[in-house]
Amino acid sequence: MGILVDNNSRVIVQGMTGREGASHSRAMKDFGTQVVAGVTPGKGGTDFEGWPVYNSVAEAKAAHDANVSIIFVPPAGAADAVLEAAHAGMPLIVLITEGVPTVDMMKAVQEVKTLDAQSRAEGGQGIRLIGGNCPGLVTNGQAKVGIMPNKIYTNPGRIGLISRSGTLTYEAAKLLNDAGMGTSTTVGIGGDPVIGTTFADVLPLFEADPDTDAIVVIGEIGGADEEAAAEYIAQHMKKPVVAFISGRSAPKGKRMGHAGAIIMGDVGTPESKLAAFAAANVPVADTMPEIIDMVKAALSK
Amino acid sequence: MKLHEYQGKEILRQFGVNVQDGKVARTPDEVRAIAREYGQPVVVKAQVHVGGRGKAGGVKFSPTEDKAFENGEKILGMDIKGLTVNKVLVTKAVDIDAGVEYYVGMIVDRNVQSFTLMASAEGGMEIEEVAAATPEKIIKHRVDPVTGLRPYEAREVAIKAGFKGNLNKIADMMVKMSEAALKRDAVLVEINPLFVGPDGIPLALDTKFEIDDNAMYRHADLADWRELEAEHPLEIEASKYGFAYVKLDDGNVGVLGNGAGIVMTSLDVVNRAGAKPANFLDIGGGAKAEIVYNAVKLVSKDTDVKAIFINIFGGITRADEVAKGVIQALNDGILTKPVRMRIAGTAEDEAKALLAEVGSPLIQMYATMFEAADEAAKDANAAEGK
Repeated sequence: MGILVDNNSRVIVQGMTGREGASHSRAMKDFGTQVVAGVTPGKGGTDFEGWPVYNSVAEAKAAHDANVSIIFVPPAGAADAVLEAAHAGMPLIVLITEGVPTVDMMKAVQEVKTLDAQSRAEGGQGIRLIGGNCPGLVTNGQAKVGIMPNKIYTNPGRIGLISRSGTLTYEAAKLLNDAGMGTSTTVGIGGDPVIGTTFADVLPLFEADPDTDAIVVIGEIGGADEEAAAEYIAQHMKKPVVAFISGRSAPKGKRMGHAGAIIMGDVGTPESKLAAFAAANVPVADTMPEIIDMVKAALSK
Repeated sequence: MKLHEYQGKEILRQFGVNVQDGKVARTPDEVRAIAREYGQPVVVKAQVHVGGRGKAGGVKFSPTEDKAFENGEKILGMDIKGLTVNKVLVTKAVDIDAGVEYYVGMIVDRNVQSFTLMASAEGGMEIEEVAAATPEKIIKHRVDPVTGLRPYEAREVAIKAGFKGNLNKIADMMVKMSEAALKRDAVLVEINPLFVGPDGIPLALDTKFEIDDNAMYRHADLADWRELEAEHPLEIEASKYGFAYVKLDDGNVGVLGNGAGIVMTSLDVVNRAGAKPANFLDIGGGAKAEIVYNAVKLVSKDTDVKAIFINIFGGITRADEVAKGVIQALNDGILTKPVRMRIAGTAEDEAKALLAEVGSPLIQMYATMFEAADEAAKDANAAEGK
């Protein structure tokens, strides 16, 4: 089970024939994901390592009844690739690409939201974008639609994981794995200022997931997504949530690698995030290994 | 990319914003010539990429040509927060007391997944100060990224903010600022002060403009506006290698890792270990030995760095490639400072074997990031006699 993806997910890869797209298509297949086709405009009708390649998402979707698209298209065309998938009615779109111009993402995210609302109004399943600049998502033991290393997901468990950072997702997943707890679904939401899905969007999915007992939220400095998550948790969540905030010692006004990781004025400070989680009774770990003890403590209550 | 005031004004002018006349000078004589040409009081303003120029003495009212020359001499070559002033903007002065100063600006706002337009009647001040003291005096409005700001919305915001003057012309300036932000991929644009004189006509007296680095490829015409001399030399070198690199003040431990999140956490861990990070360096994913070699080379050049902490969680990145890069740096004599690293993940055992073969006390691998950071902190503090 898990959320968003499972072993029934039928995945197409936009940009499959590129270097990143190719290697991660193989890794996803090795994980057990049903990768059904690739999309590379101009290479339609060809075969790539046993996968059929199409010129458009609409063609690939129609031919394979696909319901997930993962995008490895370079930054200049990435937002357009999102729009192509959304207009083809793809219910789940995962944008891995890093370095997409923010204005492009603003426009794409807004249009995806409009299409999502339309689809839902018509009784459809909606359209969700995850990312960009994200590692994707994994439902342990079922499917990976992303770029996480396969070997940290050897132990399916009952802890949900949401993170803005790719590497810290791996770190936390490995800690949970090694502690014998394992993960249910891991969702990397991405480190950019404008992303399709936020912490607060993912939390209700975990709350409703019968296979998740507790949730770990890995946040970082910058923006107010963690504050919004804390507010949501306080109002709606019954399952325990444990948090971690990265970059607590970073100086103000400097952009720390992630375009979204910057403290501007008093917005995005570690203090405001810690205060928000405290107000929501969410324990915040000082170091990542402490997450494990906190999850254990929360579950034993 | 942060733009200088004169560059930001040039962009706003291209979009039709009524901008105060000004010219750039690099010598006091040029300052005098511009002041003579304008034949009226001028303001001489340092062009550096830091805030608080005015307080630092980098902005001076100059009623005469001689005074302008004198102020040019004072400001050119002066040091503001570590940056040397190489250029000044000489603008016509306005009689501020005869009008009012407002603030308008737009920032990328992740909370609304678009730009937020901000307007305040408290112009001329740092907007952060207004936000801290009297947040209710800042009117905020989400700008639709597809349609841009429409005139009626701009008027509504201007009215709410309490702006007086020719509302159509003020709103028009805000609309044009919004067009500039969207078409030029701004991360931030401010007009502050937006001066409204006795005639009610708005005039942009100062501006801040910062462009999204990810979008620079479609603004090739602005590429040569980038001033390498205004940036830290190691940051320039880092950008050649494609690293995300930030030089940090008062640090002694060089920090590098694969991914923004892990490097941010590494900074926290170094702090906890009782030392200070000297930099943030993200080598990205899937780094080969050569990239690691360049990263070590770059960090080693920083004289503040007394020890190096490498923190890698390898998925696509192979631990043995990381080890090879570090060993190569040692063999080439580049590496003279201790390297303490945690490399988890793919090919960890191969990395250990390679390091054992070399057997140098300068390079040590640890099981956890905490142990590696503790050792790096000890080494760095010991080197500084702490």
